[in-house]
Amino acid sequence: MRSSIHRWFAPILLVALLLLPLSTDRYVQYILNLVLVYVVIAIGLNLLLGYAGQFAFAHAALMGIGAYTAALLIYRLHWSFWIALPAAGIVATIIGSLGALPALRMKRVYLALVTLAFAELIQWVLIHWKELTLGTDGVKVAAPELFGWSFKGDHRMYYLLLAITVVLYVIGKRIVESRLGRSFVAIRENEIVAQCNGINIAFTKGVVFGLSAFYAGIGGAMFAITLGFIVPDGFGMFQLVLHFSIVVIGGLISMYGSVLGAIVLTTLPELLRGFQSVQEMIFGVLLIIFVIFMPFGLAGLGKKKGILPDEILSRNWRDLKKKHEASLAAGSGDKVKE
Amino acid sequence: MDALTLVVAGLANGSLYALVALGLVLIYKTQDVVNFAHGEVLMIGAFIGYIVFQLLGWSYPIALVIAVIACGVLGALIERIAFRPLSDQHHITLAMVTVGLSFALKGAARIPFGQDIYTFPPLFKDTPPIIVGTAVISPQSLVTIGVAVLLAAAMFVFFRSTTMGKQMRATQQNLMGARLVGINTGRIFSATWALACVAGGAAGVLAAPVSLLYPDMGANFLLKGFAAAVLGGFESVPGAIVGGLLIGVIEMLFGGYVSTAFQHLSAFVIIIIVLFIRPQGLFGRKAVHRV
Repeated sequence: MRSSIHRWFAPILLVALLLLPLSTDRYVQYILNLVLVYVVIAIGLNLLLGYAGQFAFAHAALMGIGAYTAALLIYRLHWSFWIALPAAGIVATIIGSLGALPALRMKRVYLALVTLAFAELIQWVLIHWKELTLGTDGVKVAAPELFGWSFKGDHRMYYLLLAITVVLYVIGKRIVESRLGRSFVAIRENEIVAQCNGINIAFTKGVVFGLSAFYAGIGGAMFAITLGFIVPDGFGMFQLVLHFSIVVIGGLISMYGSVLGAIVLTTLPELLRGFQSVQEMIFGVLLIIFVIFMPFGLAGLGKKKGILPDEILSRNWRDLKKKHEASLAAGSGDKVKE
Repeated sequence: MDALTLVVAGLANGSLYALVALGLVLIYKTQDVVNFAHGEVLMIGAFIGYIVFQLLGWSYPIALVIAVIACGVLGALIERIAFRPLSDQHHITLAMVTVGLSFALKGAARIPFGQDIYTFPPLFKDTPPIIVGTAVISPQSLVTIGVAVLLAAAMFVFFRSTTMGKQMRATQQNLMGARLVGINTGRIFSATWALACVAGGAAGVLAAPVSLLYPDMGANFLLKGFAAAVLGGFESVPGAIVGGLLIGVIEMLFGGYVSTAFQHLSAFVIIIIVLFIRPQGLFGRKAVHRV
């Protein structure tokens, strides 16, 4: 019974997603588009923060790099969106994988500090390098075209964004279920044990930083075409806390978590439009509450209640640990690696 | 601009950064948490100072004392409510809580103060700047440096000579050992947060007359404080102070001789350079990894 639901779930969902724009007005459609953008961004951050456990603050800056790369290539050089999109991903990947360098050399707190400084640096460059970025005036981004058909308007844009998001979701899911995904989690849990098990720490960290940045860059480019207009301010601390809230409230170490978090935290601010103070307080307090009481977020809750299917890698290791300790206490268990 | 003038102004700013860094280092040493909400503590200190001085019309020293006490209480409360129950959690969890806290505090400050920018009136309207040789020194700089030095000295005495200070150092060195010899480490945690927030709040009130007041003002000081702490090695109290003063002076000289546009940037560049070249900072010891 359950398995048949699961087999039909993905195709039904896809059809529903394809038909969704029929029932929306422009505003609702715009929000839906933003949800898709944040799904991509959240998958990227979840890979880094959730799976690999690297506490870095550069995600919003990398999103900004992606957004500005795509926007400026289109605006200044009149490149087609179809070249600008991968270019945004590649530029972000190259810059983002540099993040692995401090992550390899430094004590864990310093990674947060160096990436925070880097994020501020990018923000500063975006504002002050007016010759390139137009500074705080912002950049207008034209809607992409394909064979003369323009994706202008929120409803048309939706299909483009949906296609990108679905592809990146499937790739992300494949990655976390592969050997590579398991090595991310191994690094998160214990680097030394991971190394003893033949995982190349330098390579794996480089890959996870690059991969996470790739998602941020592509997400940034999607963000740029969704809004049609970007300013440096859009990629500051507020954006970053939104990203953190999405993955923590949605659920760390979970693909569903990235999606759930993006849905909840993109719609919530829209409901509270114009009340920045209330938004900030709610984000902050929710972040604290979830971190303390529901460390696996909404996805963890769903899995516990049996609404969401179990995912590889994201089983609650504290439960496992408790079980293990119980079996040790009973005098039966043998050593299990953490 | 005269070099000596710049250096003194840099020392004044630097002593603010040193106070922020001091708070960061104290909390990090004791609980292994990097407090990303420390800039907001400074912001709250500044606003309390503003309320007492400007709205109630009391004198500046009283404003300073009230703000410092309020921030200390706030720090102890934060520790007791949010961090004590989490003491055995993953470091990402703890850092994330401070990030959440930072946003909650900022949002809370925005409710009464909104998006406006407030200015704290200058303390020495009529006093002419002091001229020593070629240097022009503003009285405000002297007050800032003086209060910061007093606070730092008081803390040194506290750590050296009082039981509480000694217990704090013991807790920092070895938590388990401190518990074994009967130190109430919970109380020490609260006291550490209170002390750290006292330093942060004092920096806020001292910064108020020379800076603009708005709910986002903390971020800039937090980054400078980070730079100072990183330069000092993040685990050393004297390191934080020296780091703060150095950052202040470097920033001023950079602004005076190279470019004011890049002045703001120098702190980030220092963080990045120090972490790549000498991650243990000027005063830190090389980390030994224990398996």
